[in-house]
Amino acid sequence: MSDGRGSHRRRYSGFLRPDDAGDVDEELAFHIQSRIERNLALGMSAADARRDAVERFGDIAAVRSILVRHDERQRATERRAEYLADFVQDIIFGWRALRRAPAFTIAAALTLALGIGANTAIFSVLNAVVLQPLPYSQPDRLVTLGQGSSGEYLALRERLRTITGLAEWDPTTDPVDDGRDALRLTGVAVTPNLMPLLGAAPMLGRGFTPNDGEVGNAHVLMLSYATWRREFGGARDVIGRKVTLEGLPYTIIGVMGPSFRYPNADVQYWRPYVIDPQNIGLMWGVGGKEFVGRLAPNTTLDQARRELRVVWPSLRTSNPIWDPGPQYRRDATVTPLKADVVGSSEPLLWMLFGATLFVLAIACVNVANLLLARANSRERELAVRAALGGGRGRLTRQLVTEGLLLSAVGAVAGVALAVLTVHALVTAVPTGLPRANEIGVSGTALGFALVMAIATGIVFSIVPAIRATSAAASASGAMLGRRATASRSHARVSAWLVGGEIALAVMLVAASMLLVRSFAALRSIAPGFDPAHVVAARISAPEATYTSGSERLANFYADVLERVGAMPGVTSAALVNQLSLAEPVWSQAIRVQGQFEDVKHALPIVDHFQTVSPGYFAAMGIPVLRGRSFTDADRPGEPLVAVVSRSVARRFWPNGDAIGQRIGYPFDSPWITVVGVVPDTKQDSLRDTSSATMYMPWAQRTSMVGTELWIVVRGAGDPAATGMAIRGIVHDIDRGVPVSDVRTMNDVVDNSVAGARFTAGLVTVFALVALALGAVGIFGVMSYVVNERRQEMGLRIALGSSAGGVVRLVVVRALRLAAIGTIVGLACTLGAMHSLDRWLYGVSPLDPVTFAGVAALFCVVAVLASYLPARRAARADPAAALVE
Amino acid sequence: MPAFRDPGDLLQGTLRILILKSLLLGRAHGYAISRWIEDTTGDVLRIEEGSLYPALRRLQDRGLVTSEWGVSENNRRARYYSITRAGRALLRTEASIWLEYSHAVTRVLRAEPSLA
Repeated sequence: MSDGRGSHRRRYSGFLRPDDAGDVDEELAFHIQSRIERNLALGMSAADARRDAVERFGDIAAVRSILVRHDERQRATERRAEYLADFVQDIIFGWRALRRAPAFTIAAALTLALGIGANTAIFSVLNAVVLQPLPYSQPDRLVTLGQGSSGEYLALRERLRTITGLAEWDPTTDPVDDGRDALRLTGVAVTPNLMPLLGAAPMLGRGFTPNDGEVGNAHVLMLSYATWRREFGGARDVIGRKVTLEGLPYTIIGVMGPSFRYPNADVQYWRPYVIDPQNIGLMWGVGGKEFVGRLAPNTTLDQARRELRVVWPSLRTSNPIWDPGPQYRRDATVTPLKADVVGSSEPLLWMLFGATLFVLAIACVNVANLLLARANSRERELAVRAALGGGRGRLTRQLVTEGLLLSAVGAVAGVALAVLTVHALVTAVPTGLPRANEIGVSGTALGFALVMAIATGIVFSIVPAIRATSAAASASGAMLGRRATASRSHARVSAWLVGGEIALAVMLVAASMLLVRSFAALRSIAPGFDPAHVVAARISAPEATYTSGSERLANFYADVLERVGAMPGVTSAALVNQLSLAEPVWSQAIRVQGQFEDVKHALPIVDHFQTVSPGYFAAMGIPVLRGRSFTDADRPGEPLVAVVSRSVARRFWPNGDAIGQRIGYPFDSPWITVVGVVPDTKQDSLRDTSSATMYMPWAQRTSMVGTELWIVVRGAGDPAATGMAIRGIVHDIDRGVPVSDVRTMNDVVDNSVAGARFTAGLVTVFALVALALGAVGIFGVMSYVVNERRQEMGLRIALGSSAGGVVRLVVVRALRLAAIGTIVGLACTLGAMHSLDRWLYGVSPLDPVTFAGVAALFCVVAVLASYLPARRAARADPAAALVE
Repeated sequence: MPAFRDPGDLLQGTLRILILKSLLLGRAHGYAISRWIEDTTGDVLRIEEGSLYPALRRLQDRGLVTSEWGVSENNRRARYYSITRAGRALLRTEASIWLEYSHAVTRVLRAEPSLA
């Protein structure tokens, strides 16, 4: 029995919160009740009237639940529509508000564009290189076993159960002659099963068959898509064409599609790797061939690792002749292929990504601060809206929508920035990024930018929105009471934000300073040779024409050396098999007469081993400390001689003279006499801690060295002209010999530290942005404070305080802010710096100079950023201030 | 009293016509609609009253009727339904189809049985 009051109450409560079930009940009750009343009027008894009414109606419970469900669904739809309409209204309103304050909007949007743009760019790279799976079938099942010899390859393929389809490849660089000019293409020799293993098929022509990998059949090759386009004009009839590789004819049988770039994007062609069962590898464990395979179905990485730990040593015991001795022994490891491909780029990219996140966080704080100041100046507008019944939630939503709008504008500009910079970024990475060709602002990156925009929009607008609406709510009661308590607490919140911002900026600046100092330390290391006025070039004599150790090869290089040496201005020219700091220089195990003679025991390893022509030390500017350099008399047939670097001499003959001592290769070889001692030089990188090097005259070792050599020339002028001249001379002798990689030794040295320079440079750019944003933050807060306290300042001046005193007051305040931020930032830096360790050289992560420098820098920034507001405060007109 | 129990689709459509037709007279609550149908057909067509309400919701979803809360003759709160323009249009077409159909059925039933 519903009385009027009850239904009225329900209606009222329904107004606050829609009561669908109640409405349905009311409607159905009305129906039943009406029927009962009619039945009573027709003269039925009360019981009959009721029974008939219910009977006629049918299943009340079922109908009720249908209606309630329906109405609730209906209401939800309406609410969504309403919400959407409000949202559209908010956006339109927000857009107008932003347009009314163009200076604010531009400043905030640019700040966000920088933050989001930098993040999106770095994320694009990170995503393509690290996060995306490799473009092969089931890429997470692919593993690499590191390096080994063909003998090991065959044995592993036979024995391993956890890894299927093992393939082997050999990075080689062959001179290719396509009948026109001598080209130097980069190729790899792969076992014919490599492409099927990776799940890749040729785009044109056919792939390798097992037959292609047999001795005598291997004269076929497949081109990469890029090479096919560039060198062969994308001709479809390229299949079947003959090219010359190492002086031997090869037939092009196929072209791989554009996405296939194994093992890297530099590969221009693939040829079959031939395993000669008669000669399956010189030494176990040092083969230098790469193994790649696929985990067998239902096998885990751990199982494969366990199996290899058992199988690998068993290879040695089953082939004792080839056991190279402990110093050569290497444990095979199973690594996911992706980890192997991505390698050292991954930590670098995460570090850069971290840096850009800092920049974005700082940008957010800055915009939050701008919004805070603005919300404060909109206090009256918001108060009016609050007074007109806009709930606090509604106002907050309005402000957050404005924030989102702002971040959307920033994101669009940021994405544009990312699109423009990401390729410059990729090409700027000096060490070359793996998978560089896959990098671009992809859909994922756009999604990331969107998420960033929404997150930042909410983050930077929520604090100002809450502050502003609470101020508005309190102010709406007393609208005319201008400046309630809000301004003071605004300044406090703002100061907190700027303090946090400075702390973040301090961390970034400290990191960048450490990286810059590391780079400087690295670059100031003397390489041990004199790189000035030296030009180097790679000469690649084809093995087929100039067999290693042949007289023809010796004559060819002697001819080249003589003619290059006779070029005007050249003081010396020499050959070396591997150029220091440009490529890895081999190490070598040696015997030492009287100390380490027996091959069966562990032999010492010399870090680096170079084969050079007599003029090498002169050409590279390496002084001979004792004894002599090589001469033309050190020929084959003459006694074998060597020159060692100082640390080799010190190690083996600490108390005596190295000159005249005898060393040798492992296994059967005649003793070699040490004839000279030179300083240690940096070989693999300037960071080398040990650069023990042994030199042999090339003439006595031609058969052990490939036919590709570097020529180093001292005294030539312009490197480009020198390169042309060298190329001219070589081509004059044999047009089929490519000359490549012409560069000055100074460039070589620079290049070897380019990674450190790049990292330091990029982080410094981020740090400068952070610093600038921090300065803007301080400026903003101080301007606000000065503005709010105009009266007080005027009063102080009226009471006789000097202008300087007022300036000091403001600047000290800014300094205090900066100091707190700096201290917090440095404390956090102390906690976080160990993560920078791997990039640092010659400088401690806790470097006091850096820390003091950062602190000083931020003090200067605080003073500069607060000076203008302080000046304005000092100029405050006391009379005007008092009248106001 | 024997009445046509709503057996399915055909009568579903019928119910729709009956509701729309009843609303032509003016806005009405659910009980009034069922009373009107009952009275007009002399209690021959007695719909199961419960099915009236889901049908009204469906008509409302399609924009054929609208509803609002009002106060009834005996001063109680009731939900009133009215027909919309779209409802009138639909009623026109469906009514003519229905009439044609029922005439056809009538003609068949009245035809001389042929035993050929």
